[in-house]
Amino acid sequence: MIVAGLGGGEGVRIVLETEEAMLLSELADQVDSVLLLGEADDPALGRLLPNAYPDDHDAAHDYTRYTRDSLVDGKRQAAQRVRDATAVEDHGGVVQIELDQSEAWGWLTFLTDLRLILAERVGIVDEDEADADETRDDYLRAAYEWAGFVQGSMLEVLDPIKG
Amino acid sequence: MTSTLEHLDTEGAVRASVELPWRTVVWDDPVNLMTYVSYVFRSYFGFARAEAERLMLLVHTEGRAAVATGNREAMERHAQAMHGYGLQATVERVEP
Repeated sequence: MIVAGLGGGEGVRIVLETEEAMLLSELADQVDSVLLLGEADDPALGRLLPNAYPDDHDAAHDYTRYTRDSLVDGKRQAAQRVRDATAVEDHGGVVQIELDQSEAWGWLTFLTDLRLILAERVGIVDEDEADADETRDDYLRAAYEWAGFVQGSMLEVLDPIKG
Repeated sequence: MTSTLEHLDTEGAVRASVELPWRTVVWDDPVNLMTYVSYVFRSYFGFARAEAERLMLLVHTEGRAAVATGNREAMERHAQAMHGYGLQATVERVEP
């Protein structure tokens, strides 16, 4: 995976191995599914759609009523765009994706949502306990780390630290 | 109590003086990258880099930081935006 700046404008070019693209496409599809089909008591969904009023049941209910659809739509749209951009059929070779600033934001928020879901699935609740349960879900944990690496690489290009 | 400058119109000034302000609070979570949180603060709120970093570090070390203060509707809009970015945010009344 390589992330580079776009010449002449703000944006990023992401180069993925085909296998990486297929993995990302699959993960994006799963994020979309969690948002579409997620049970109300799915804790991963709770991380994507947090309670704005933890101490006020009525206000929390109203907030959810007014914001949920729009939040779910935005997150699903971001996931679907990543899924479609990384959908490849041929094995071997690389996939090149160019994103302008606004498209890059879609990827950044999708990668965040993905990591929130994976963190919930593998039980990352404390930064210091990141290695607590290593035998469980190694695949998901690897995907979590990798999504963080992709996001961090994008940020280095989009928001270089000056000086 | 100082009100926000947005409420300088007469009606608004009266309303702001009787309503306690609210705030949007962003909470720490172990998932989000510090660089991401800082970038979100700058891009969405328009903070200078130093202010965005200060708030991001406050979230990281104190567990929470108030990122905006104002009327309730505006604070809910900010919370919704933060949720859109995948940050944990709540809305609360500013205690007098």
